[in-house]
Amino acid sequence: MQGPGIAWYLGIAAFLFGTGALGVLIRRNPIIVLLSLEIMLNGGNLALIAFARHAHNGAGQIFALTVMAVAASEVCVGLGLVVAINRKRLALDVDKLSELRG
Amino acid sequence: MRGGAWLCLFAPLAGTVLILLAGTRIPRRVAGWVSTASVFVAFGGAIWAFFALRASSNRAGITYTAWTWLQSGQFKVGLSVLVDPLSTFMMLIVAGVGGLIVLYSIGYMDGDDEERRYFAYISLFVFSMLLLVEGGNLLMLLAGWGLVGLSSYLLIGYWHDRPSAVAAAKKAFIMNAVGDATMALAFFVLIAHSNSLEFAASFHTADTLSSTTVNLVALGLLGGAVAKSAQIPLHTWLPDAMEGPTPVSALIHAATMVTAGVYLIARTHPIFEQARTVELVAAGLGALTLLVAGLIALVQTDIKKVIAYSTMSQIGYMFLGAGVGAYANGLFHLMTHAFFKALLFLAAGIVIHAVANEQDIRKLRGVGALMPWTKWAFLAGALALVGVPPFSGFFSKDPIIAAALHDHWYGVVMAVAALVGAFLTGLYTFRLYFIVFRGEPSAFAREHYHAHHGKEGPWTMLVPVGVLTVLAVVGGWLQFSPVWHPLTTWLDPVARTLAVAEPTNTQEAIASILAVGLGLAGIGVAWVLYGSGERAVPRVPALQRVLEHKFYFDEAYDALFYRPAVVLATWLRRDFEEPVVLATGTDLGEGALDIGEGASRIQTGLLRTYVLFVGTGLAIVGVIFLAVR
Repeated sequence: MQGPGIAWYLGIAAFLFGTGALGVLIRRNPIIVLLSLEIMLNGGNLALIAFARHAHNGAGQIFALTVMAVAASEVCVGLGLVVAINRKRLALDVDKLSELRG
Repeated sequence: MRGGAWLCLFAPLAGTVLILLAGTRIPRRVAGWVSTASVFVAFGGAIWAFFALRASSNRAGITYTAWTWLQSGQFKVGLSVLVDPLSTFMMLIVAGVGGLIVLYSIGYMDGDDEERRYFAYISLFVFSMLLLVEGGNLLMLLAGWGLVGLSSYLLIGYWHDRPSAVAAAKKAFIMNAVGDATMALAFFVLIAHSNSLEFAASFHTADTLSSTTVNLVALGLLGGAVAKSAQIPLHTWLPDAMEGPTPVSALIHAATMVTAGVYLIARTHPIFEQARTVELVAAGLGALTLLVAGLIALVQTDIKKVIAYSTMSQIGYMFLGAGVGAYANGLFHLMTHAFFKALLFLAAGIVIHAVANEQDIRKLRGVGALMPWTKWAFLAGALALVGVPPFSGFFSKDPIIAAALHDHWYGVVMAVAALVGAFLTGLYTFRLYFIVFRGEPSAFAREHYHAHHGKEGPWTMLVPVGVLTVLAVVGGWLQFSPVWHPLTTWLDPVARTLAVAEPTNTQEAIASILAVGLGLAGIGVAWVLYGSGERAVPRVPALQRVLEHKFYFDEAYDALFYRPAVVLATWLRRDFEEPVVLATGTDLGEGALDIGEGASRIQTGLLRTYVLFVGTGLAIVGVIFLAVR
């Protein structure tokens, strides 16, 4: 079965990763930041699976599954933080949560 | 014999531990009784050891070793006690007189805030001294030596809210530490040569050492003896030690501590005999001290300080006796001195206790009319101190002078010094006696005299004084050198009197007649000046000033040691500690703070900068990775 070449997949993966990274860098709402992170991870996943297909090797797919598990945990923690921030009635704005400034 | 020795040694320690552990769970009085009982049990142990040794055929003594305490290659030191004629003799004096003094303390310290601490310390003091005299090797002796220094420090500074008491305690400790150090150095030399600190082995080695080495060892030992026994030049701590409670003064002066030096010379006499010059230096220091202390005692106005200087003077006699080689005579004087000096201190303590803790003899004038019993007891002690027959001092002091007389020209010089000392003894002792006990009571004494239920003091104070009065009178009858000398015979196996210090009967007679005559002359002069009031005391302001400043020893030490140390310390502080030590620390701290402040700029608290940093880092790693590949 022939489909698009690997370059297409990698292109889309890079596009997703870039979009996510841009979101992380410029958005200030933590929920959106988390969403953008997910997009970055999924970009990475796409690249992994594409390589797995390309190399006829299952390891990449296993990696992708691991990344999903990590992503799920990370979202749990992240959303937990968002809830905690909300409970304290703080602004949902990552730029204002800058108490760790040296 | 073994049981007696260990019982004697550890009973007072058990008393200390018991009182410390019980703390406030026992009443104060009980602490006093525990302490007294522990010391009397020790006395019982001493008697046990004494009779067992008498019955035994081995008079040279037996060392009992509990276990090996220290071991390093061939060098081995056991935790051991020695039972021989000399140690049992010292055990009897220390525990016996010590027990009476502790009993006396129950009455004297009654009502003090911290009686329990006092009694714990005083038991520790007796234990330390017993360890010193019973120790079966030189290291045990040194351990006891150090502990005696520690417990005297604790007791002299017992009233720790008085700055003068704290200063006196420190002074005593530092002076003693000098002696401890010289002794320890002497022991190192001995270890280097004999690889042992056992008495027998060390003494045996002393025969084979070069004269320089043996002189060094003897000098080190002499340094320790001089410091502990308050002889010139390390004597200045003793008068200051009067800051402690009176029973402590009695204990330091009579039973424990200051007599340790005489014991040390008698114990290590084989070493001193190999270094005869050093031994004669000891005798000379004794002769010098007895003169100087006698002169200073003439102008003191504190009742306890007069007695303190008389102790220095009497220890001088003991050093003189032990130094010329008449060890038994020195130790005999140690014993009679323990009786009459404890008596004098305790009698003075009754006076101080009854008259508002006042120690100035000008204020205590004439207190004898109010306290006749104390007066008689003190008189007995004073006569024994002067050496008037048949009181005990006569029997013990005169043989020392006679022994010195026999020993070459320098012996004669020292004997003359001792005879002048006898005159001074009569003078200062009876100056004190006539001022304090004779005549009409002063207004101060009358006003502040406070009888204890119609008696002169509680029975716990009166009984020891009574016993000591009897001992001060009859204690000397134990030995009268021309006729019988059981003590010399008893001590012969361990401390044989040197042939050079065995006077002829003529010399004994001359010494006795002169000493008694001069002592009586001293009493007579004291009577004319202070007793009858016929003549005013002659005024020699220059001499008086010198005496009141105690021959400027304190001032000299101040200028020699204290001031240079202060100058050096100030200089080091200003030019080294502050610019170098302290500044280094702050510079390091400030530097770290600056670096931290700079580095903390990175922590913006903004998520996106962190992401940028991570990204940049990754990019750099990627570039390096590619470049290296």
